[in-house]
Amino acid sequence: MSFELLQPDSLPGALKALAQHGDEAKVLAGGTAIVLMLQQKLIAPTVLVSVGRIPDLAYIRSEPDGIHVGPLTTLRDMERSLVIQTHFPLLAQASGEVGNIRVRNQATLGGNLAEADYASDPPTALLALGTQVTATSLRGERTIPLEDFLIGFYTTDLEPDELITDVFIPASAPGSRTTYLKYRSRSSEDRPCACVAAIAAFEAETCTDLRVAVGAASEVPQRLPAVENLARGQALTDELIGEIAAGYADNIDTLEDIRGSAWYRTQMIRIHVVRALEELRNGRR
Amino acid sequence: MSDRTLTLQVNGRPYTLEVPSGQTLLETLRESLELVGVRDSCGIGMCGTCTVLVDGRAISSCLTLTAQVENKHITTIEGLSQDGQLHPVQQAYIDHGAFQCAYCTPGFILSTVALLGENANPDDAAIREYLAGNLCRCGSYVNILNAVRACRTIDD
Ligand SMILES: Cc1cc2nc3c(=O)[nH]c(=O)nc-3n(C[C@H](O)[C@H](O)[C@H](O)COP(=O)(O)OP(=O)(O)OC[C@H]3O[C@@H](n4cnc5c(N)ncnc54)[C@H](O)[C@@H]3O)c2cc1C
Ligand code: FES
Ligand code: FES
Repeated sequence: MSFELLQPDSLPGALKALAQHGDEAKVLAGGTAIVLMLQQKLIAPTVLVSVGRIPDLAYIRSEPDGIHVGPLTTLRDMERSLVIQTHFPLLAQASGEVGNIRVRNQATLGGNLAEADYASDPPTALLALGTQVTATSLRGERTIPLEDFLIGFYTTDLEPDELITDVFIPASAPGSRTTYLKYRSRSSEDRPCACVAAIAAFEAETCTDLRVAVGAASEVPQRLPAVENLARGQALTDELIGEIAAGYADNIDTLEDIRGSAWYRTQMIRIHVVRALEELRNGRR
Repeated sequence: MSDRTLTLQVNGRPYTLEVPSGQTLLETLRESLELVGVRDSCGIGMCGTCTVLVDGRAISSCLTLTAQVENKHITTIEGLSQDGQLHPVQQAYIDHGAFQCAYCTPGFILSTVALLGENANPDDAAIREYLAGNLCRCGSYVNILNAVRACRTIDD
């Protein structure tokens, strides 16, 4: 392992280093993915730019229209944040389901999103929530909806000279019910085999809005607006829930790995979408 | 690989060392500081034998570059006893026979110390959840649970 480690103590300093070293550089945040890959010799960057000394990139800031979460915020701080627990319980849940305590103490939100590992928890919850990612380089700043940010297997829309500098999560409609279900096929600290994040708003028994994201079963987490819309203006009957679950199971091109075959994942999507929607209908917030 | 000179705060003492930029905290603690209570096993953050506390929080030293924790307070199992007296959590593990080969024990004890630092009275579910990322291949889990229960401020 031969690389130069840069530890800039300002954002401009880090952006300059990335602009200079471009493709040969890798960003180091918590290190849970990068250090593992370095140790296993899966990557060989010539320069590693650590963002750990840049001040003010770890925050959870509440605003009237939503919350801003800094890229260096650890998953453990998200899990334990009162603001997130109160207003975005499914995000606290998804963050708290990641790996083990040590990983959550180290892993950052920016690292989790930039890594774009399909077998992840937070991205699925964030997709259902309509999250926007801000990326910054010396060239300027842009805001990318999460569905356009995650583009494939370990692939994002980030350019080599860009850093994630903010994550914005818009407030859900008041009174929305939410849930996050993680299905593990092996041990209690495993990554997900499939996961479902769901948010619904109701007027009496009528569902006025439904958002469902399914993750870890395909290259990127997915929402299917055409299927979600089946619920609009309807009561969530068992039959309708079955139809929506079938919509997700039938339209997601599932992948196969050590956590399950493609066929098995399709079945797990169906079952977990049913469970998530039953939970929302039956009133859990 | 470029070496760098770093100052680490380990178990309340400063150490200034030359560290290769790619060296993990696990390697530095074991090889340069001879703190061999920090143990290498899976190398991928799963097992917890390499657990150390950084500013009181449990992390995997196998997934941390030493340069990332410069100037932070690092605690290893060697730093828990005070004036020749074992830390109460260490004593509880002995009293409850909470190990067989003891390879996992330093990691479990440090995780327990971090748990009690956050929550002085964890219920069984909280203990299980917190320690789920530490593996004991000898299967001493029942005695470990008993040892941690005995450390709660309200013991039952
Ligand atoms: C034992 C174990 C179990 C795990 N289980 C789960 C699980 O159950 N669910 C789950 O979701 N995840 C799981 N993970 C993955 C973990 O969540 C990620 O490794 C972690 O979130 C990455 O964050 P980091 O800060 O450690 O990133 P790093 O390792 O520092 O970086 C990861 C990637 O992100 C890039 N990067 C980091 N920060 C930025 C930034 N601000 N801007 C641009 N690029 C950036 C880096 O260049 C690198 O490519 C597990 C990991 C381990 C080791
Ligand atoms: S050796 Fe670090 S967690 Fe297993
Ligand atoms: S006592 Fe042997 S691994 Fe735990």
